[in-house]
Amino acid sequence: MKRLFFITFLAGILAVALAATFWPLPRHLRFHALTTVPPDGGRQEEFVIHWPEDRIARPDEARDGGPLAVLGAAVLEDSAGRRVSAELFRLRDAGDNVVGVAGRLAGTGGAIADRGRSATSWLLVIPGRGALFLGQNDAFDTTVRQGTGPAGPVALAPPQAATFWNDRPRVRVTAMAPRPAAGGVATSGRVLRGTSEFAGLGGSFTETWDLQEVNADGSTRGRILLSTLTLAGT
Amino acid sequence: MMRVLVGVLGFLFGVIAGVALLLGNPLAYFRGLPPLPPDLAPAKSYRWDDYRGMRGGVADLLGIAGRDAGVALMDPALQRVRAGIVVLPAGEGTPAALALKVSAIAEENSLWRAELGTHDYWSITWPGEGGVFANAYSNQWTLARDSFFALVLGNDSLAAAYPVTAPPPAAGVAAVTGATGRYAGFTGEIRETLYPAKDGRGVDWAVSIKVNPPPVAPR
Repeated sequence: MKRLFFITFLAGILAVALAATFWPLPRHLRFHALTTVPPDGGRQEEFVIHWPEDRIARPDEARDGGPLAVLGAAVLEDSAGRRVSAELFRLRDAGDNVVGVAGRLAGTGGAIADRGRSATSWLLVIPGRGALFLGQNDAFDTTVRQGTGPAGPVALAPPQAATFWNDRPRVRVTAMAPRPAAGGVATSGRVLRGTSEFAGLGGSFTETWDLQEVNADGSTRGRILLSTLTLAGT
Repeated sequence: MMRVLVGVLGFLFGVIAGVALLLGNPLAYFRGLPPLPPDLAPAKSYRWDDYRGMRGGVADLLGIAGRDAGVALMDPALQRVRAGIVVLPAGEGTPAALALKVSAIAEENSLWRAELGTHDYWSITWPGEGGVFANAYSNQWTLARDSFFALVLGNDSLAAAYPVTAPPPAAGVAAVTGATGRYAGFTGEIRETLYPAKDGRGVDWAVSIKVNPPPVAPR
């Protein structure tokens, strides 16, 4: 009996060792990176976000805030009227596959941006590939505002209201830069840093909002286009 | 019948001993990063209840957790991701901040190297001040180890706090990068601490961030 106990005891330890070696730890579903190489170098990759469907709503978030209310957004404003807004989205590649999560933090006032404008930090996380950290000055104030809906406070995003567009179908959000960035692009959008597959990359980007549809209730559908140009060692 | 019982018991004890040996991997004691000085980087406590995606516990890290339909992200590429908006409280000389935190299971995790964690990505902005990005690797190995021993020994051996930030398993560093406002160009460090709830419901977190201005270049 003692021998049997000892042998099965060793078998148990061996089973754990085998499990630790061959246990299939989770991996992320990964799509091929849809990148192009411009003639003057670098790596160009476009990311797309559709609004409103790519907004990531908070759990149990009420959907009765009216047609202009946006889900998955938060606003923080101090007593001096300096505002920060946060939005979470699904991130798509140029082939319209959902590849990751994008977070947009926009702020106004103080040291962040001039009056009537904002500055934005984009956090792009693509599981399995890493993250890209992007920062830009905005051409206008892009922060989400706190409003009042039928059921209480709601978040209102500028592009999701038809009144924002005034017959223009496309708006470039990224402010121009006085001097051209890497790749000769005059944009204030900077790829500040990357991790994992994007480690060691810098570069530039532009954010553009495309209007696709105006609904009868005054809300809109459209897409946010993030065009990145990354270069090693910049 | 007696032989079968002895065999099953032997195997069961062997599995428990094997898991204890695996979790007791001494590498886990040397993997953490030293804490930041509290006077330079005060810890900001927050609850991360308002999230979407996976729960982020040990079961998720091992790939054996079920999906919580109320919060799960159904897109195939986002099944092992947790994302949410966090408000970091004011205090100790800093105003409240709005932050986005996204965690993704690290594919480099290894049970033999005592690595069971997530890559965490932060974007934080203080109203009127500026914003920073940060990334870190949070290793939950010691929490998994203590939870196992608490279960086996039937006692409450969980520590009050677990500093989880560790060097990323692959190449890379846990780092802070200034993004906007007065923090543009800054660099720094980040540490996170996890406070396990004793009643099994949720956990509290704290984050410490220390940033340094860019070096001044002589003319």
